[in-house]
Amino acid sequence: MLHLLGVNLPDQKLVQYALPLFYGIGQRASVKILAALAIHKTCKISDLSETQVNQLSSLLSDMTIESDLRKEVRANIMHHRTIGSYVGRRHAMGLPVRGQNTRNNAKTARRLNGRWLKAERKEYSSSVRSIIPPPESPFESFFNRKWF
Amino acid sequence: MPRSAWKGPFFVALPGLRQALTQNIPVRTNARACTIIPSFVGLKFQIHNGKDYVPLTVTDEMVGHKLGEFAPTRKRFSYRQTKNR
Repeated sequence: MLHLLGVNLPDQKLVQYALPLFYGIGQRASVKILAALAIHKTCKISDLSETQVNQLSSLLSDMTIESDLRKEVRANIMHHRTIGSYVGRRHAMGLPVRGQNTRNNAKTARRLNGRWLKAERKEYSSSVRSIIPPPESPFESFFNRKWF
Repeated sequence: MPRSAWKGPFFVALPGLRQALTQNIPVRTNARACTIIPSFVGLKFQIHNGKDYVPLTVTDEMVGHKLGEFAPTRKRFSYRQTKNR
């Protein structure tokens, strides 16, 4: 197990197929990285030398991947939401943004769009909830009731 | 694909812009495809959505977007039991 920038890369995987475990690196970027560092195609994570690992980590730390990329995506969506454009509205409604049909399915949009917005709302509501005392249980209310 | 840089942003010459800026009158327009350029910031617009004119006050974050992005053209479907209501 190689631990790089908060991601575990399994030893037995080829480097080419382990790199896409990072959010923001796909097949294409992975192949390009291999070429840039002169790592051969059949090289496994366990076969990487110390210097190669160092090179790899320095290269990856320069790229916008993982949390940086997530932040960027989120910021882009929030920009649209705050100015109230069509794109922002569609994100908030959890519907396709780029004019796809919504008569059927639109499953991907339903799954993905509005994730950030919903997460934000949840955070907000939970913070509000912590201020308001929880409602008393029926047991308590039974005892606190004014009988006469 | 974005628009070529050498063309510059697409915008329509809107009549009465200067007057609108000084007297704070909303600019009523049908040019939804007009790009919001930095000189529009602070102006009030009324953008046609196919039926009526949607009010909009331009902030500096909106620069680079089109006017039409802020005037939705479709109504959300809401079920009604009877047609006549």
